[in-house]
Amino acid sequence: MQRRKTNYLVNATPTFEVLSQDEIEAIYNSALTVLYETGVRVYEPTGIELAYSGGAIIEDRTDDSALVKIPPWLVDKALATLPGKVVTRGPDRKYKMELYKDAITFGPGSDTPFTIDPYTGKRRRATYKDVKNFARLTQALPNLDFHMSLGIVQDVAVGTYDRWQYLAMLEGTTKPINITAVDLEGLKDQLEMAYIRVGGKDEWRKGPLFSLYIEPVSPLSHSEEVIQKLIFATDNEIPFVYTPCPLAGATAPTTLAGTAVQALTESLLGIVLSQLRKPGAPMIIGGLMSNMDMRTTVYCYGSPEMALLSAAYTQITKWLGVPMYETAGCSDSKMFDEQAAMEATMNIATAALVGGNMIHDVGYLEQGLTSSPDMMVASNEIISMVKRILKGIPVTDETKALNVIEDVGPGGHYLDHDHTYTRFKTEIWRPDIIDRQVWENWEAAGSKTFRDRVHDRVIEILGAEEEPLLDEKMYKELRRVCELADERHKGEELDYNMFG
Amino acid sequence: MSEILSELSTAVIEGNLDDIVDLTEDALDEDFSAQDILDKGLMPGMDHVGVEFKAGNMFVPEVLRSARAMQSSMELIRPMLVASGVKMVGKVLLGTVKGDLHDIGKNLVGMMCEGAGFDVHDIGKDIEPDAFVAAVKEFEPDVIGMSALLTTTMRSMEHTIKALEEAGLRDKVKIMIGGAPVTQAFSDQIGADGYASNAASAAELAKKFVA
Repeated sequence: MQRRKTNYLVNATPTFEVLSQDEIEAIYNSALTVLYETGVRVYEPTGIELAYSGGAIIEDRTDDSALVKIPPWLVDKALATLPGKVVTRGPDRKYKMELYKDAITFGPGSDTPFTIDPYTGKRRRATYKDVKNFARLTQALPNLDFHMSLGIVQDVAVGTYDRWQYLAMLEGTTKPINITAVDLEGLKDQLEMAYIRVGGKDEWRKGPLFSLYIEPVSPLSHSEEVIQKLIFATDNEIPFVYTPCPLAGATAPTTLAGTAVQALTESLLGIVLSQLRKPGAPMIIGGLMSNMDMRTTVYCYGSPEMALLSAAYTQITKWLGVPMYETAGCSDSKMFDEQAAMEATMNIATAALVGGNMIHDVGYLEQGLTSSPDMMVASNEIISMVKRILKGIPVTDETKALNVIEDVGPGGHYLDHDHTYTRFKTEIWRPDIIDRQVWENWEAAGSKTFRDRVHDRVIEILGAEEEPLLDEKMYKELRRVCELADERHKGEELDYNMFG
Repeated sequence: MSEILSELSTAVIEGNLDDIVDLTEDALDEDFSAQDILDKGLMPGMDHVGVEFKAGNMFVPEVLRSARAMQSSMELIRPMLVASGVKMVGKVLLGTVKGDLHDIGKNLVGMMCEGAGFDVHDIGKDIEPDAFVAAVKEFEPDVIGMSALLTTTMRSMEHTIKALEEAGLRDKVKIMIGGAPVTQAFSDQIGADGYASNAASAAELAKKFVA
């Protein structure tokens, strides 16, 4: 029997913290001050009225917007009904994403205009086929728990691309998806598609097929489209991510604490509106907080500040009791290279160690403008490695193995000991793509670098023959929703393919 | 080169908001013309800033501070320049197109263009094509700059160009566009005059347009 001395503390896993409890509370209380005194601008009448009817102060009304100031008690009230656990499931119901305090899941990022072609290595506009291929990669990679498009489908009409994008993803994966929508109508169409895919609204309610991505604009602005989506999602039991993307030094204070305060203010508005509309409505807040690079003016996806700020924000969400949309697996590099691997390793480790929930943007390069299959496959391996670190070192009589040490004694070895035989597979992490061969064997295998091997895996996964995930009847039904949308919006497109 | 003009250059380079107005007044007291102050004091300072920025030795907040310093001086000498009939660098009209609230890039372009000596008129974000047309009539810019962050709102750029054509104003202005999903190819396709991938190159492009 395991015996322990008194006052013995166990570290079942490593722990990682950026902020203390007092610092979290200081940031939260400051966000309440900003929300009450500075206010946020809302560009949508229903949202403004909703806030007003709940007790918010409405000032400075213009034709299309108003300044909304939320008193602290209203935030408390909203937080009291906000669910701490949010669940989505894939069309294959075994794929379940449960988001709650310290439960980590990983997935790609969303709509990038560009992608790296897996066969030519060239950067170009993303297409339907790319988006389907990325979904197939998510399906094949065991450490990815949910999917996002990793490309804007740009070989279809611009105003309705979101439906095609969803179809492409459904063709490639049966894992839960985080979708984007070009507007409210696009969201309605995708919900209809999800009902078709899962078999109706009752099935949806047992585990929504997707969560919705909603992004208010920093600083402190909530557009018409954003509020419309929030209200529709709330009404229709669609879990949604409400994630501002403040840019320290440009659209938020350059000090990271100030950026966290502003981001939280922006998220709290979403929490208040959703809970006023429907107490208990599930949402996830986040998400992407970083700094502007003051030489190039780009939004950094690989900076230490992004990882640090996201980790700090995760702690705030844990304290609030709301799931967090974390960011990792992304880089500012233009290709999958050493910089990309380095930045992804740093931000994946940080996000996982702090316990971020829905950790997205795996596969992003070039400040989120380009997606890369290689980055995705490499990140899958990085996540695997980091997960080993998360398991920590359990210290028990059994793991301290004194009797085994006694058994082997000075000068012996452990290789053929039962203790080794029964435990090496669970105790010691085994790499998949990372190479540990001796030089001669590595050379004989073609002297392949990590980059080469990652790329080989991409080609292997994409080249595999698979049964279609959608049968013909379902594919046609889903496609019909897309075609009807195109039909309705026919006149709005430009006369040529914008991205031709 | 007089000492006071060189001090003005330095004040611009250092973004010295405390002293730039006094220095401008001193230069006027020493009987330098507004034109001299602009051409031999302020502009050489901004040119230096441009070179240092490109070389990676100066950063955006510093460049913007320099531009502000220059603007402070310009406020004093602008009426004199206008009175003496000196042609300004040019006028730039800026807006983020209909449907888009993402305007940080456009704001940066505005500040960079001011730094390059342009008279900048920023009409904001979520701007309808007709509002661009009205602003062109009122402000008579040499250059229009449009920005968009979303592929869906990129379409508004062409709609705006069409509206300008229909109003008979297209030939009176040069049009530049920018934003994360925008490319040179798209600019060519919609009939814009140019594309810039960042704020500093947008200011350079605007300068080329009016040269």
